[in-house]
Order: sequence, then structure tokens, then C-alpha cells
Amino acid sequence: MLRGMLQLFGAYGASLLFWLLEGLSLVLLVQNNPQQSEIFWNSWGILTNVVEARMDGMVDYIGIRADLLELQTRNIQLLEEKDNALYSNKAITGSVDGDSILQAFTYIKASVISNSVSINNNYLRLDKGREHGIEPHVMGVIGADGQGIVGVVNATSSHFSQVMSVLHSQSRISASIKGSGYFGVLVWNGIDPELMQLDAVPKHAKVAVGDTVITSGYSQIFPRGIFVGTIEGKPYIKEGDNFYTIQVKLASDLSKIDYVYVTKHEMQDEFRELEKERNE
Amino acid sequence: MSNLVVLNTVRFIFLYLIQILFLKRLSLLDWQGFIFVNALIYPLFILMLPIRTPRMVILLTAFLMGLMVDFSYDTYGLNAACNVLTAGARPYILAWFEPREGYNVNHSPSIGHMGATWFFRYTAILMGIHIFAYYWLDAFSHVYIISILTKTFFTFIFSMFFISVIVLIFPKSAKKS
Repeated sequence: MLRGMLQLFGAYGASLLFWLLEGLSLVLLVQNNPQQSEIFWNSWGILTNVVEARMDGMVDYIGIRADLLELQTRNIQLLEEKDNALYSNKAITGSVDGDSILQAFTYIKASVISNSVSINNNYLRLDKGREHGIEPHVMGVIGADGQGIVGVVNATSSHFSQVMSVLHSQSRISASIKGSGYFGVLVWNGIDPELMQLDAVPKHAKVAVGDTVITSGYSQIFPRGIFVGTIEGKPYIKEGDNFYTIQVKLASDLSKIDYVYVTKHEMQDEFRELEKERNE
Repeated sequence: MSNLVVLNTVRFIFLYLIQILFLKRLSLLDWQGFIFVNALIYPLFILMLPIRTPRMVILLTAFLMGLMVDFSYDTYGLNAACNVLTAGARPYILAWFEPREGYNVNHSPSIGHMGATWFFRYTAILMGIHIFAYYWLDAFSHVYIISILTKTFFTFIFSMFFISVIVLIFPKSAKKS
């Protein structure tokens, strides 16, 4: 044992001694010379600050998930208080009715667990499903800031749901131009995930570059007035065509989307009832 | 054996006295900002210790010499740190410059044994390391890198000059050791 330690010391003693003496010299240097001592303690302070900041960042990150969920809940409360989520029961102006305002739209928060934008028919998957109140074909998905449309739910399981992205060749979203009110159908030509096409805007409509495009609310999937994007490039009419060709730059970047809200129309049953009535 | 110890002890004292009595005064003279004169020759002792000297002995004597110079220059730890660094680097530089037939363990790294070209290359590299470390630790920050390099350059020139003078004045001791 002792022999082994001595051998070890024989092999590494010189290196040990080197670092010992070098360290001793540097300690002397820093302790006895004002300039070196000032620089050393300053640098030490900076170093510890950096380390502490890193640690703070890590601790923050651990807590951030809880904060995020709380913020989403707050956001939903605010979204649901907006006019486009409400239904007015008033038929005669001035009538005082305790039940004059009904909640038309509510929102369900969800996280995106898979996504694609690179192919012609894109889908997303969300971590909420039937058990959280999500139904297929009647619910839309909007961005985390309450702006930008993401897609329409087209299938659900008990805990997950599949969303047909707006970047899908079969996607048809009713949208209108803010201000003038002319509406059309948003489709995607499969080329640029930042650009969609607004079709079926009649040629007598006034359309300009930079006009805001919002959801029309006609489909009962999305509330009216959700910011979709702005018109990019000068709209033009093809020879012999009755409608504009309009490019819309999307507000939300669908290639980096993590958190979304699912829109739910609380009076969906009534629309079904209407359909039934009509078909009979 | 004892001859070598005596010789190196004498060299230790001699170089130390030259450093603190002559070179220190030289660097303190008023050169009216015309030129920066400083020269370090005490590391020559470490450089010229016999090749078979145990590394621990080299390191300890280097530390001792550095501390003694520090006491004279009022730079506690600065010269000691550089000298220990030089002593630590010595075996690697020696290994780098090893002749094809290897070293004779009874020899010293001196002009007499290794030839002038070899000796000055070896000395230049170790003195370069020593002096750069000296001014880097003196400034203690890379912010002053230009000033560090300028001072290193001039001090290197002067140091090499005085080292050459010394090894050429005492060729005898160089040959014997």
C-alpha cells in the first residue's frame, strides 16, 4: 500500500509539485499585488455572476411549464370575453334581458405534438382529444396569441386529435377582407407555407396590398374577425376571370407552432338541427 | 557529483546577484521613455542544470530562485510563478530538442556540450515562455496584449544579450559542467 503510494508519487510527484508551486506562486501574486488582486477578484465576480445567471435560467425553465399553463388559461378567459366569442340574444334594442349575452365560442388549450408543412397535405397532432371536449369537423385551431389560423380538427381519439392544417390541398377556410367585408375562400397551392391564396373575391371588390384578412365567421368553425394575415403582392385578375388572384401572407408561422387553442362553438347542436330541418 | 552541486550553487548565487544588483538597477535607470530596458537572466540557472537533475529538484530550486528575485523586486509570486513554469516546461523542450543519439545524462544543456546553435535555440524558447508569462501575469489580463507583446519582445532581446555575454565570458564553467 505504502509502496504503491510511493510509486505513484514517484510517477506523478513532479507534476503534482509543479502545480503546487505554480498555485502557491499565483496565490502570492494575487494576495500581495494590488493590480493583480483587483483584476482577479473582479473576474471572479463576473464568473460567479455568469454561473449564477445560468443557474437562475435553469430554475426558471423548470417553473416555466406551470407559468405557461396559467397564462394559457388567462388567455382563454380574455379570448372568450371578446365580442366575436359572444352571442347577443337581444332582438329589440333597449330590451333588458338578464340572459341577453350567451357564450358562443369557448377555447380549449392544446400543445402540438407533431406537425409538418413540407408536403401537399399537412396534418398536425394535438395532445387533447375527445375527453377534453374536442370533436372532429366542427372545431378550428388558432395560434397561441389568439391570432392566425392553424387548421380544422378532422379526427379525434380519447386523448389526441388530428388537425387538417390550413396547409392542405383540401383545406377551405372562409375569410374576408377587413373593412370592405368582401369575402372569399382561403386555399393553399402547396408551394410556400407562408403564403395562402384567397379565391372567389369578386372583381368589383376593392383590394389593395397590405389589406388585413380575417376569418369571416360564416362556417361556425372559427369566430369572426380572427387575424389571418395580410395581402402580399398586388392582387390581379386573370384574363377572362371574374375573381381576383390574391396572395395572403399568414400571420402565424406554421413551421414553428407549439401551443394552440381549439375553438369550440357552444351552439353547434343548433346548426345541426337546422341541417336536419332542411333535409327533412 | 559534489563538483556539480558546488558549481550550480555558485551559478545560482552569481546569477541572482547579477539580477538584483546590476540588471534591476539598469531597468530602474531613467531612459527618458526612449527605450524600455529590462532583462531577466536568473532563469539561466534553471536552463543549465544538469540533464539528470530530478524534476522535483528543478521545480523547488526554480521556486526558491523566483521567490528570492520577487523579494528584491517587490513582486511577490510573479517571478516565482514564471520560474516554476519554465522549470515545468524544461523537460518537454529538452525532449523536443533531443539529438538523434540521445543525451549524455552527465552533461548539461550548455554550449560546451550541445553546441552554440542548439543552446541558443533551447534558451530562446524557454526564455520566450518565461518572459511572455512574466508580462502576462504582470498585466494579468489579455486586454493589454499589445503592451505585453512589446515588452516581451524588448525584454527578450536584452535578456538574450546578457545571457550570451555571460555564457561567452565563462566558457570554462560551461565546458566543465
